[in-house]
Amino acid sequence: MKHFLMGSIIVFLALLGLFSGSIVVVRGADQASPIVGDAGSAVHAAFNATLEAERAGANVSDLIASLNEAARLLSDAKTSLSSGNLSEAAIMAGQCFGIAANIERQAGVLKASAKNEAQSVFWTSLTFSVVGIASFIVVLLLLWVWFRRRFTGKVLDMKPEVASNED
Amino acid sequence: MKIEDCRVIFATVGLIGMLTLGSPTLGLMLHLPGGEKFSELWVLGPGHMAEDYPFNVTAGVNYLVYVGVGCHTGSLTYYDVQMKFRNETESFPNSTVGTPSALAPLYDYRLFLEDGESNELPLTFSFSNVSFSGNQSTVGIVTINGVQSNVAESVSWDAVNQGYYYQLFMELWVYDPASNVPRFDNRFVSLWLNMTAPV
Repeated sequence: MKHFLMGSIIVFLALLGLFSGSIVVVRGADQASPIVGDAGSAVHAAFNATLEAERAGANVSDLIASLNEAARLLSDAKTSLSSGNLSEAAIMAGQCFGIAANIERQAGVLKASAKNEAQSVFWTSLTFSVVGIASFIVVLLLLWVWFRRRFTGKVLDMKPEVASNED
Repeated sequence: MKIEDCRVIFATVGLIGMLTLGSPTLGLMLHLPGGEKFSELWVLGPGHMAEDYPFNVTAGVNYLVYVGVGCHTGSLTYYDVQMKFRNETESFPNSTVGTPSALAPLYDYRLFLEDGESNELPLTFSFSNVSFSGNQSTVGIVTINGVQSNVAESVSWDAVNQGYYYQLFMELWVYDPASNVPRFDNRFVSLWLNMTAPV
């Protein structure tokens, strides 16, 4: 919640800077640095959420493209920060934060959806296997009973052959 | 054929049938271990080939190489490729111990790759504020993909190899999802560069 609130503020500031034509003034590295740090944490969180979604079986290809965009912005923000361009660093970090937060949300939805789908597939295949095996065993037993009767009957119907050893 | 032989045949058919019908569920429950998990890092020349690498370099000229990363880790991986610049005496990664260079990166490139994916990054670099005095050469600024860094690296004349040798190298770092801390993946590639005076 704290991260979300902080992120919203950063995104708002970044958008304000971008669309109003003015520049978000960051007075020093002390102020810009936590923003870039938060953006880095947001990218980590987005990565972890995407990884969990992938492990749950979701298709995360679209999210990876967005993650790479967030990573590029984060690298650029760090470069701007180290070169003293603090306003630009803050704007890029804000954009990065916005993208990362969005990825985390989408990854959560994808993970839940993939888990539901996986559960559905599991129960379907389990039902198929249990019903299939049970039916198969019943059919096989019936076949075995029929076969044994027929086999025994055949054996009993057989007439003994008498062979003589006549020289 | 005896009835016991027929019983064995029925039992075998039964077992095969049960395994076949149970295989979809078994496939979901059993997870066999995958192959070896590793990452790749490579550097290619300007023609995307392992040739024509920049070697004799001079100030004010842009040089292009491609740095590639390949992911075979079995899952989505967060990479950080760190570019560093050193002279012959400074810290270099140690592949035996698995430690990175202690130098700070001049440029880093972060990327996310899925298992089986690879990515190549064009890396343009140039040098400025290069000076030569006596048997020493000094590089003041290294620019990598438009990012300038003050380095002030000096090397002495290498009488054996006849040149002023610097090294540009790239280290591969991987983010550990559990701790959110990047760790050196013990993969690095490097280019030896002989700094020459402009003609």
